[in-house]
Amino acid sequence: MSVNKLAYYPGCPSEGTAMEQHMSTEAVFEKLGVELVEVEDWNCCGAAEVEDPKLLYALNARNLAIAEKEDLDIVTPCSICYYNLERSNKALKADEALRTQLKGIDSSLDYNGKIKTKHVLDVFVNDIGLDEISSKLEKKVNVKVAPYYGCYIGRPPETAFDDPDNPVLMDKLIELIGGEIVPFNYMKTVCCGGPLMMTRGDIAFDMARKILDVAKNAGADCISLACPLCGMMLDGKQADIEKALGVTIGLPVIYITQLLGLALGIEPNKLGLNKNAVDTKEILGKVV
Amino acid sequence: MPIKTWELDPNFKNEIMSEAGGEHLASCFQCSTCTLGCPITEIIPSYNPRKIIQMSLLGMREEVLSNPDLWVCLICQTCTARCPQDVRIADVLGVLRRIAEREEEAGNLKIDSPRPLFDKAFQHQLKKFGRLYDMGLAMEYYPKKEGSFIKGMLAMMKDYKDFGKRMFLKGKMGPLGGGSPVKGMLASKIKQKDVMKKIFEELGEGGKEK
Ligand code: SF4
Ligand code: SF4
Repeated sequence: MSVNKLAYYPGCPSEGTAMEQHMSTEAVFEKLGVELVEVEDWNCCGAAEVEDPKLLYALNARNLAIAEKEDLDIVTPCSICYYNLERSNKALKADEALRTQLKGIDSSLDYNGKIKTKHVLDVFVNDIGLDEISSKLEKKVNVKVAPYYGCYIGRPPETAFDDPDNPVLMDKLIELIGGEIVPFNYMKTVCCGGPLMMTRGDIAFDMARKILDVAKNAGADCISLACPLCGMMLDGKQADIEKALGVTIGLPVIYITQLLGLALGIEPNKLGLNKNAVDTKEILGKVV
Repeated sequence: MPIKTWELDPNFKNEIMSEAGGEHLASCFQCSTCTLGCPITEIIPSYNPRKIIQMSLLGMREEVLSNPDLWVCLICQTCTARCPQDVRIADVLGVLRRIAEREEEAGNLKIDSPRPLFDKAFQHQLKKFGRLYDMGLAMEYYPKKEGSFIKGMLAMMKDYKDFGKRMFLKGKMGPLGGGSPVKGMLASKIKQKDVMKKIFEELGEGGKEK
């Protein structure tokens, strides 16, 4: 194993709608023997709502600088946070004038471009490695899973760490822990609609529903994912989608860190499996 | 509709290409790969990123900037990932949104979408607290979107009634949720709020650099 300590960037949803992702991320890394040091006093990455590149770089420079002081690479479980951290990191590394300008705004933005930024999926599969994880598994998660990747894992090309058309990192983890992948390829990377939730809820619901429908029709017991906005759309809003569109879905949606945690023998409540909006009991019954 | 050549703005493409994210606009060769893969086009057939690029290159500044389609892009990056010419369409659309917002601030344009209001309300939370404060965001956004405080509160209640209760029951929102007695009701604030203020005053909406 090439990694034993990382800076951890939880992201804003970790304090509310995606608490279970935060809880399971911490629990899984602990079990895997990787120490996470939370980026002290971290600020929001800008999500999809800060579109101005320089403003976004400034917000992320502060978080990068805090981790750099600790001499640690940053890991985050949120795909949007990852995208913002990584593109800021790239821009800052490449542009000394930008670094100087930001440092001029406040000394806390003084980042020297010395660390890496990573998504948890990348760390699990490519840094810790499947062999290492496999040696720590205690249970078989005997579930049929529709692995949903969403937007920022395979694209855009500058920050992607998996295939844009058929990403596989989550598939590998699911197979490793005894799960079965249902036919879901063409839906893996279609956007969940989340960015339009507050301004065009009709479109957002339509998009999320398609993903849920395809997963359900493919025979999935659950959807797995790695982004809190996707989680809010597919899990948090699932009952609203059912009501608005007059459909019944009832499909559990579970963060990949939660599924992995179950296989590592971590207690379900410690993984926040009582916090997912759609009940997860049926899934727990399939962990043997 | 025929293009009125006398109304074209030949400088529009340079304006876009001088902004971060718009640099590759002129590489487009109109293959339509972007439109064919776009999930919004699947829902709204008239939505056409290729056409927005072509109109921008032609200099149809007013038509492009007042096009409400700019505000339904998901920034999902599918177009950017598939474009054979590396046009970075998702970023180009972001540049167009930023120019449109500046034109609206200058009083030259009325944007037909609540999205700028949402983005601004979001940024105001970051400027104040350093983190996203959902409640503060909703309290600012809904009244602005609906045009009055009362209408805003009613719309907010409609959207949040079931969802809020669900999140409350899971301990994620509300007075007893989130592991602390008032989590979700109060903002999660960072200590260095002064840095956020400095960042936004320099680089944010109406900031010194703008
Ligand atoms: S995919 Fe690229 S080159 Fe093709 S039309 Fe779209 S922007 Fe132009
Ligand atoms: S980024 Fe926007 S234009 Fe591009 S594919 Fe996604 S929704 Fe369509």
